Amino acid sequence: MRFPLEKSKKIRVGVLGLGKMGILHTALVNMIPEARLSALYDIDKKLAQYVEDAGLNVPFYADLDKMFSEVELDAVFLCGPTYTNLPLARACAARGLDIFAEKPLAHSFGAAKEMAALSSGRKLVHATGYLLSHWCLCKTAKKILAEGVLGKVFRYRASIYISEVFSRKKGWFYSREKSGGGAVLHIASHLISLLYLYFGQARSVFGRTQSVFSEVEDSGTALLEYAGGLQGTLDVSWSIPGYRLAYINLTVEAENGSLELTNDDLRLYLQKPAKGYPKEWTHLYRADMPSVSGFDLGGEGFYEEDKDFIDSCLDRRKPVVSWSEGLEVQRIIEAIYRSAASGQAVALKEVV
Amino acid sequence: MVTLDRLILGSNAFEGVSYTSRSQSLHYLEHFGNPDNVVAVLAAAHSLGVKTFALSNTENVMAALEKFDRSKELTLLPVIPNVYEYARDASEKGVLGSVLEKAKRINMYQKIRLGLRALGKIKSVLSKDVFDLLVELIDFELAAFRPYKIGAVLLHGQVTDLALSSHNKGLLDLFFNLMRDEHGLEPMLATHNFGTLVPQLMEWGIKVPVMAPLNKRGFMMKPNPEACLKLVEEAGYPVIAKKVLAGGRLTPEEGFGFVADKKIISAVVGIGSVPEAYHSLSVGKQALKFTSA
Repeated sequence: MRFPLEKSKKIRVGVLGLGKMGILHTALVNMIPEARLSALYDIDKKLAQYVEDAGLNVPFYADLDKMFSEVELDAVFLCGPTYTNLPLARACAARGLDIFAEKPLAHSFGAAKEMAALSSGRKLVHATGYLLSHWCLCKTAKKILAEGVLGKVFRYRASIYISEVFSRKKGWFYSREKSGGGAVLHIASHLISLLYLYFGQARSVFGRTQSVFSEVEDSGTALLEYAGGLQGTLDVSWSIPGYRLAYINLTVEAENGSLELTNDDLRLYLQKPAKGYPKEWTHLYRADMPSVSGFDLGGEGFYEEDKDFIDSCLDRRKPVVSWSEGLEVQRIIEAIYRSAASGQAVALKEVV
Repeated sequence: MVTLDRLILGSNAFEGVSYTSRSQSLHYLEHFGNPDNVVAVLAAAHSLGVKTFALSNTENVMAALEKFDRSKELTLLPVIPNVYEYARDASEKGVLGSVLEKAKRINMYQKIRLGLRALGKIKSVLSKDVFDLLVELIDFELAAFRPYKIGAVLLHGQVTDLALSSHNKGLLDLFFNLMRDEHGLEPMLATHNFGTLVPQLMEWGIKVPVMAPLNKRGFMMKPNPEACLKLVEEAGYPVIAKKVLAGGRLTPEEGFGFVADKKIISAVVGIGSVPEAYHSLSVGKQALKFTSA
């Protein structure tokens, strides 16, 4: 049994996998006062030079067992290719370490279930890197929905687009076996995590996907139905020009009005005033949101999610997005894939 | 230390960056995808005496510089390396691969203009370490600006902030030495973490101009607006204010009015149209008491 640590204690962190996300999390961990970067691991031995050049002043290992035998850690960030999350999580969970896994939780639903099972019976703190939940505008929308400002919600439309894939692709990221999927798994999963946070788990899903540039899907569309009668649509593509960064759009229709959420703003329309929001239009811009992040690297949300994980390790509490939520996100994704393959709607209770 | 104009034209809008809406961003991308429309804004700014231009090495902006018949009268402040372009491809090709990919996209005419030196260096990046790679990137991108007058060079905020978070003074020293000794140019730093960067620079004994968000709404002022404003007033660092209009949430009158009495050397502002250029830059000139030569 691990107890909440004294606030003066720093969480000793290892970052496993030094690709783009590993470098980002390494830098962010360095800026969290309650964390101490203690070890770095990657199978590519040449990255030892990077670690030295980057002035990180922590030991680098290309041998995981050696790292565990030489360095005492409290927590790790898993930042390697998606298919490495499960084996690395097994090794870390066996040593009682708290684990942040970059999204998606795993490359397949089966692997995600195994990941989630690793945490049961253990008191480890586990988080998944879905950062939309840490955006100020998304948190404001969550509060509006949770407080019932809109009344009963009956419909939503959600989309996420990015301009990334416009020609034939190769490499692990475009291999179904290794990456587990394409735009639905790697891009829409961010938005699905938000939908899960807002509306809970769907009852059934009907999905279609299209693969044009590689063996994984470049786009996907899904109709989601919920127990209370709520219906929603989800659309994703990574092959649309004009989206330098991933861009979300969520429109919610409800008894008392509507809510539209994007990367830039939140527009609320109310038939009747509620919880301090006036009748008719309220328009909040990202630039109007209070500055809550202590550090900005890679964009809004990254520092917050890392800080939330470290604070959770200290306080022995559940982070905002744990593996439980990560697994539910992958359950929806699995349902979309199964539906796309069969041409039939899939009940979520059958995705086990 | 180089003397900068009080008012500087930025290139965010030319690159499709908007903080207000998707439709605005798309409009910028489409509109400024045509270099002639970038030229129109450059010409409007030039006619108002705003002749300093902070920019990244993006295709449409570089094409506009070639087309603009008075571009040799501009003072450029290149922001390098163009991190977003590399980062976009980094998952698939790795950081090195994305650099090579960019090099491949340059046509023969541009290759000749850039000169063989830069190209020769690009071929060598695969065998280099991180410091050398940064040197290659900077050399490669700087080559594109060589035909023009370069006032100073800004290290991209993502690289500055990566060095900051890694406590890596060596990386900044490398940039400073490269600029001063090899290129004879003044180095400056861009950042999104002014309130954390400046105390660290003071500790390291580094004093260079810093470009950072500064606005009435506190937009992107990290770790908080109060800390940033205190440092602007008390630290004695030459500050170039950016995000002055808080991503489009402040009018030019409000935005420039706020920064005018702060201890800044310059303010940079992105412009989305010719009418906006005349209005915003005129307001900026008046507020900042900028009288162009």
